[in-house]
Amino acid sequence: MRVQVHFFSYFRDLAACSQCSLNLEKGTNLEQALVEIHAKFPNLKAMKKSTLVAVDMEYVSRDHLLCEGNDIALFPPVQGG
Amino acid sequence: MMRRQLILTPEPISQSVMAGPCAENKSCGALLSFVGIVRSLEGDQVIEGIDYEAYQAMAKHQFQLLFNEMEQRWPIESVRLIHRLGRVVVGQASLWVELLAPHRQEAFEALGWLIDTMKQKVPIWKHPIPRPETATTAPRAAIEQDGETQCDDPSTIS
Repeated sequence: MRVQVHFFSYFRDLAACSQCSLNLEKGTNLEQALVEIHAKFPNLKAMKKSTLVAVDMEYVSRDHLLCEGNDIALFPPVQGG
Repeated sequence: MMRRQLILTPEPISQSVMAGPCAENKSCGALLSFVGIVRSLEGDQVIEGIDYEAYQAMAKHQFQLLFNEMEQRWPIESVRLIHRLGRVVVGQASLWVELLAPHRQEAFEALGWLIDTMKQKVPIWKHPIPRPETATTAPRAAIEQDGETQCDDPSTIS
C-alpha cells in the first residue's frame, strides 16, 4: 500500500524535502513505518524523541495500523501563540 | 451551541476586529480576550520578528477539536480566535482569543486551558527572525536540542 509522508518546520530541512511517498506492506503500523522513514531520512532519526506524528491530521498511537492513502505528518514540538 | 470563529491569516489582526461587537447574549456576564504579542527577545536572542508556519488543515482541525472539548467542559457561549501566519514583527499581535461566558471563572479557566493545549497540539511553529546586527545564533538552533528535549505525546494529552 502507498502512503504519503509530509515534513514540517525544520524537519523539512533535515529531510531535504517536504513530502515523499512510501510503499508499505499491508498491516504495517505507524512504528514500523517510522523505522522505514528513518532509514530513508537518517537525519530525522536523531530527532526521534521529540518527533510528533499525525495520521490524517490526528495524533495516534505508534501501534496504529496504517491504510492505503494515509497522510503521515512528522514535525517537531509545536509552538503556536 | 457555542458560536465559533477561527481565522489563520497572514494579515495583521486589526483593532477593528478585536474591538468588534461580540455575540450578543444577555445571559453572559464575562467577556474575556487575550492578545499574544511578539517579544523582542526569543530566548536570549534579539529578534525583529517571528515567521509563523502552520500545517493549516491539521491546525484548523485540531482547533475545532479543542473547541469541542472546551464546549463540553465549560459553558462558553462564544469563542473567536485569530492566529497569524507568516512574518509578524516585534510588537504586533500573533494571537487573539475572545471568550464569552456566563461568569468570569469559567472564562478564565477555559481561556488558560485553550492556550496551554493549543501550544501542545496545534501544529504551528515559530521561526525567529534575528536582528541582523545581533544574528549570532542560527535561527533554527532548536535542531541541535533533541538530545535534551522530550516532548509530551499529544495523543495522550487530555
